[in-house]
Amino acid sequence: MRITCISVSAVRSSKMDSEEAPAQRPVSLEITVEDVTTEAPGPDPPKLTISQTPPRENLLPQVESIDLGGEFSTPQEDSSATPSESLMDKLNDQMMESVLISDSPNNSEEDDDVAPMDSFLDAVEEEEDHFHETSVDKEEQSEIGQNTTEIEVTVEEQEKDSSVEKVDEETREQTLDTEEQVISCVSLQVDEHSPSDPNSGEPSLLEAQETKVFSVPVCTIFSHGTHPKSLVPDGFQPTLIKSPSFSMGSGVETSEAVTPSKLMAPLVCQPSPSLSKFFNDNGHVNPASDFFDSFTVPSSFISVSNPNADIPPGATPASIAPTPEHQLSSTSSSISNPGGALDSGAPTPSSVFAPSESTAKAQPPPSQEAPAQAPAPAPQPQPFNTLQAVFSGSDDPFATALSLSEVDRRHDSWLPSGETRKVLISVASQQYSPAYVETTRLTMPGLKFDNLQGDAVKDLMLRFLGEAAAMKRQVLTANSVEQSFTGLKRLISSKNWRAAVDLTGRLLTAHGQGYGKAGQQSSHTTDSLQLWFVRLSLLTKLNLFQNAELEIEPFGNLDQPDLFYEYYPTVYPGRRGSMVPFSMRLLHAELPQYLAKPQEALDRLHNLKTVCLAILENLEKGLAEDGSMITLTQENRQGSLKLWRSRLSRVMYSMANCLLLMKDYVLAVETYHSIIQYEPQQRVQLLSGIGRIFLQIGDVKTAERYFQDVEKACQMTGSQPSHTTCVLMNRAFVSLSQNNYTEAHASFTEVLKIDPKNPVANNNAAVCLLYLGCLKESLGQLEGLVQQDPALYLHESVLFNLTTMYELESSRSTQKKQALLEAVACREGDSFNTQCLKLV
Amino acid sequence: MDVSQAKQEHLLALKVMRLTKPTLFTNLPVTCEDRDLPGDLFDQLMREDPSTIKGAEALMLGEMLTLPQNFGNIFLGETFSSYISVHNDSIQVVKDILVKADLQTSSQRLNLSASNSAVAELQPESCIDDVIHHEVKEIGTHILVCAVSYTTQYGEKLYFRKFFKFQVLKPLDVKTKFYNAETDEVFLEAQIQNITTSPMFMEKVSLEPSMMYNVTELNTVAGGDEGESTFGKMSYLQPMDTRQYLYCLKPKPEYAEKAGVIKGVTVIGKLDIVWKTNLGERGRLQTSQLQRMAPGYGDIRLSLEMIPDTVNLEEPFDIICKITNCSERTMDLELEMMNTRSIHWCGVSGRQLGKLSPGAFLSLPLILLSSVQGLQSISGLRLTDTFLKRTYEYDDIAQVCVVCPYTNNEC
Repeated sequence: MRITCISVSAVRSSKMDSEEAPAQRPVSLEITVEDVTTEAPGPDPPKLTISQTPPRENLLPQVESIDLGGEFSTPQEDSSATPSESLMDKLNDQMMESVLISDSPNNSEEDDDVAPMDSFLDAVEEEEDHFHETSVDKEEQSEIGQNTTEIEVTVEEQEKDSSVEKVDEETREQTLDTEEQVISCVSLQVDEHSPSDPNSGEPSLLEAQETKVFSVPVCTIFSHGTHPKSLVPDGFQPTLIKSPSFSMGSGVETSEAVTPSKLMAPLVCQPSPSLSKFFNDNGHVNPASDFFDSFTVPSSFISVSNPNADIPPGATPASIAPTPEHQLSSTSSSISNPGGALDSGAPTPSSVFAPSESTAKAQPPPSQEAPAQAPAPAPQPQPFNTLQAVFSGSDDPFATALSLSEVDRRHDSWLPSGETRKVLISVASQQYSPAYVETTRLTMPGLKFDNLQGDAVKDLMLRFLGEAAAMKRQVLTANSVEQSFTGLKRLISSKNWRAAVDLTGRLLTAHGQGYGKAGQQSSHTTDSLQLWFVRLSLLTKLNLFQNAELEIEPFGNLDQPDLFYEYYPTVYPGRRGSMVPFSMRLLHAELPQYLAKPQEALDRLHNLKTVCLAILENLEKGLAEDGSMITLTQENRQGSLKLWRSRLSRVMYSMANCLLLMKDYVLAVETYHSIIQYEPQQRVQLLSGIGRIFLQIGDVKTAERYFQDVEKACQMTGSQPSHTTCVLMNRAFVSLSQNNYTEAHASFTEVLKIDPKNPVANNNAAVCLLYLGCLKESLGQLEGLVQQDPALYLHESVLFNLTTMYELESSRSTQKKQALLEAVACREGDSFNTQCLKLV
Repeated sequence: MDVSQAKQEHLLALKVMRLTKPTLFTNLPVTCEDRDLPGDLFDQLMREDPSTIKGAEALMLGEMLTLPQNFGNIFLGETFSSYISVHNDSIQVVKDILVKADLQTSSQRLNLSASNSAVAELQPESCIDDVIHHEVKEIGTHILVCAVSYTTQYGEKLYFRKFFKFQVLKPLDVKTKFYNAETDEVFLEAQIQNITTSPMFMEKVSLEPSMMYNVTELNTVAGGDEGESTFGKMSYLQPMDTRQYLYCLKPKPEYAEKAGVIKGVTVIGKLDIVWKTNLGERGRLQTSQLQRMAPGYGDIRLSLEMIPDTVNLEEPFDIICKITNCSERTMDLELEMMNTRSIHWCGVSGRQLGKLSPGAFLSLPLILLSSVQGLQSISGLRLTDTFLKRTYEYDDIAQVCVVCPYTNNEC
């Protein structure tokens, strides 16, 4: 340990000398150091202490007196970095070396060294090294430092004589070279002076720096050898790592030494590789990321790797005509306020839509006849109609009403918290009217934004294709459909989710929960909550997570008493359970994971799981879902068990997805695996999915084991084409992970023989072609697909791949992208994620 | 130079894209139940989405491959792959196209082009494609220099270059620690930390011993037939996670004899680390030769050949010491035995042990007793080399447990 100090300080003093006289004195000094140290181990162990202490004490003061300037005496030193940068770079380089030297049992000192450097280095990402050969490049570097992505140095038109050409260039380079020298000289001086501040402040930093300059292997080895006690606790030695095939011997090697520096920013919740942008956008992108030509410039299109980006492609815009069932439920739907007596702020039914209708097109929604619900006779009209839709075969209204209540109970069951239950019981037993429940226990939602969502595709068309082309785009808007659930469904199925969000906003406004109404009392109906659910789902699908979070916030944890039917004994007599649909609870639980709060999402999902399990337990014990002693018919019980098992598995899926986002692969795999018991028919998909998770981590062997299980499972169930596809697909992914793109391409092609329209195999085969160096073929394949079958291939992942290849192919990618935009404009709704076109 | 002007002048366009592994598309499942307002609309939309897993739409991780969307990070030991495309943007045929890709590191310049021969001609709208691979062997700034020279149909020779700079970062932090066992075995503990930002699957971490040693890996839990890894079933390292590997090195018999007199630095071997990340992106690193200082025995090494672990109180017991001359000269040794508070040596102190030549050893039986119960440390041996008048002290040589044989009677 102490010997270490000697060598370090000796180096340091020699360093100072070299500053004054650049002669090679350091060498001789080093030799003396060696002498000292070789003597040192000589004496008996007990005497070691005595003989070695003095030099250390002598030398320590020197640390402070060192002028950092010496550091930068090499003319090769990079000149483009700012002084502070280069200082830090130096530190970065040298720290590795210094650690090696001071590597010693006395770890405390080492720690001292490290701590300040770490803080220093945190900011340092880019490390500029000296370039011996390419002085021309140096000029580039300085530019590059300012984030320019690409530098075209010289576009030289040479004389026609080709023999002159080379010479010419040489000379040119040389002139550049000399220019460079001048620049570096100037900046060298800057370097020499400015770093003195940190210097005086942090002697330990200096120590680190100094040693690098004399990164003589002798030092390293020696210091290793000099500490006699290798059993000292925590005496870990940083170890040089290098690429196996790297040839040793040059001084540059020092830069490979290991440092304890933490160049990386603190650990952030990192989702799976492909999701990495999700939680941590631009966390630590390699500075080089803005390189690689204009086209690899980090695109603002994040959604490809982004689970948010879920825009199913090319559904037929003609969409699904509402089924009779839908129509029924929509005609019966009510947006009036059943609690009208309590809610003075609610608009009267007759004026429901008046304020929001601006177009003549607007049709009075059928639901305006809704007040029928308020008086609420025993079999309510609305459930009755729904019932008719569901059980349209039945002709006995009474029997259907009975079975309806069964279905209601099954779906609406929920286990509220103790406190909420108390309130509900007291409401039911008419101890007090709901009006007296404290407002803090009430749910008072309202729209948080009232601006229209717009149509990004049209905006892009205006920008790139001109007004005329933009005018041609025809999409449904909130105004062009019925102001009802039917219209809403049309918008959703035609993928005009932004317009659908607008429409939910109108309908909710009509219900008294419009913009600015948050925090004001209003009451809830089945329909109002369904509207909220649809709105929040769409916001989530559109990746507008912040908006969704804002609007779901007034709902709290969905446990307020006014979200239960028991709270409205007059409106929903005899009906029990949660008005909040289960899917909304799930959405509420999942939402935080998209906002970098996966822990909160997990908590909520665990709560849901607990309730699901409790209800299943109740059912298995012969009780009703909520634990009451109602006797259920066998058929009903089975129905309930089936429903709640599927809900449980859906919650488990969400948990596993959330864990995957958190990159907690162990738990994610475990959870996916446990879903198999609830959804045995999804065994093949789940096992394949787990295999892909292992491939994502890089564990190809374990992935192969899972894929083998998949093949076994497929054999057991007999040959289904989907299973053969799955097996081939898995093989392709394994080949891909073994860097065998040819084989991977062959497997994807094999899939296409069975299922020629498989969009995944088509896309993946094209991707493999690119890695095989066949850009044109790859492009041709993808382009063909998009043209032939836009319904399947106008998917953002395919389009992203296509535009990426356009960019790689030619300088005229913008035109080709605009052609894609036109194709998109003809087919896609306003929810299309335009970022994948990379036009902006 | 004006870039836009430059662009106009050139008939060819050079594009470069780093080929990291593609990623799997993840979708965002939003579902609802039949009774909810949208009915089965959401589910239908998800079924129609080509990126979902059919039959298990709620599974987030899809099968659709997407190309890398930015340069990302590159780490020492990984392979840098890049697509280089030269496209003829013009409407004329271009001749004698030579594309050269060099990688400039801080120490050297490497040619990465697959072929160095010129392409005779390139039709409009055609490309010259090249995929280059290079295993990154240095940390720090790398610059990919792509140079294109060609001749226009009018015989004009043109030339341009583009530079792409990137940083190579260090992926792992490796620290080592040696433990010397009395038996000449050496235990190596290696701490490997993932300092990248993505999880890393450690495919192989092995110690390649130097010729002097045999190595045993101590990273599996004994038991089952195959031996489970101490790191559990999933062998991956999260960012900033550290993992400790343990190795036992035994000197080979032919070197073991000399181990007692080997001094100074010995080369133990090097760690070979292979890891994988996203879809099998592979990296490999080796440490430099790990060097270990043989335990400092000084001039004379005193080791114990025999000692009882438990002895009775106030009852003499035997130990056998082995004294090895590790110095380069002959020694004439004299043994002194100093009693401590608890340890009492039997026999004459100050006796001559005679001459000991370099590398030679002698076994020395000694008798002592302890007057105190408990774990006692054996101390107080002094060897003096009468040639140099140098005294070597040996304390804390070993410990014995001293028990009272009469305990039962006394209490």
